[in-house]
Amino acid sequence: MAPAFPSGDDRADFGTGEHKQFSFHDIVLRNRLTALVVDGVDFCRLVEQGFLRSCGLETQGVNNGDAAVELIASGAKFDLIIIDMFLPVMDGLETTRRIRALGERCKIVGVSAYIGENDREAFLAAGGDVFSEKPVSPEVLIPILRELDGQYSNI
Amino acid sequence: MERNPLRRQLQLMRKSLFDQGYLDEQFVQLEELQDDTNPNFVEEVVTLYYRDSARLVLNIEQALERKPYNFHKLDAYMHQFKGSSSSIGAKKVKAESTLFREYCKSGNGEGCMRCFQQLKKEYATLRKKLEAYFQVARQAGPMETACRPK
Repeated sequence: MAPAFPSGDDRADFGTGEHKQFSFHDIVLRNRLTALVVDGVDFCRLVEQGFLRSCGLETQGVNNGDAAVELIASGAKFDLIIIDMFLPVMDGLETTRRIRALGERCKIVGVSAYIGENDREAFLAAGGDVFSEKPVSPEVLIPILRELDGQYSNI
Repeated sequence: MERNPLRRQLQLMRKSLFDQGYLDEQFVQLEELQDDTNPNFVEEVVTLYYRDSARLVLNIEQALERKPYNFHKLDAYMHQFKGSSSSIGAKKVKAESTLFREYCKSGNGEGCMRCFQQLKKEYATLRKKLEAYFQVARQAGPMETACRPK
């Protein structure tokens, strides 16, 4: 039995009268997709991996850029990598550069608590694909997952 | 309309948290991750948030005690804090974090201090409200998971 959280219409409009456009449950993947989450904050990683798993992805998480680069260098393959720009030791930009330098061409989404045009340009120049405010929303993630899954996006 | 009085109370508490701007959409996303295999997921995440962010609050407090202010360091701490707060949908806390950054960028130490005091108030208020909410949720007991309307 699920916990006693309000359900139905209350959840649909979360009490503000606004209706959500997307939920992480809105997508059904046809293929097996994998994702790596790189975030230095344990519970943030838990949340991000939770969202991806609810979409049907298999996920791994690491808490710093070095670990992410080592994992890719060891031959691990992912369809998607989500990297927090604010990481301990080696920041998200450098992590992205090094992953690309290894020849990894998967989709890389950078997330940051603060997003400005300079930050976005720097991330794209480092080899990233999509730059998003943290936490990444279903509106940003679902079209990416559909593209990776080879589905037509009707958004 | 929920007939069970505890669940009705829970509905009203939840609505109030959103109507008063304490929580945003991200909290709804967390709720949707909660199911029979993770029945206390939201409460666990919120608990982890308060445990993790306490360290950052202390770091910021200590940094604000040192003059001249190291705005770069303050901004870095707040960057982390904002990311964590956004991840649980703490809307007012997130807004104060954004304002704090503006003060850091403009080198306004007084502004940082005032903003941080307000941020701590919002942070503490949200904690109390969520603790009360989760307490009622536990008392209300488990219920059938409803299907989200399409």
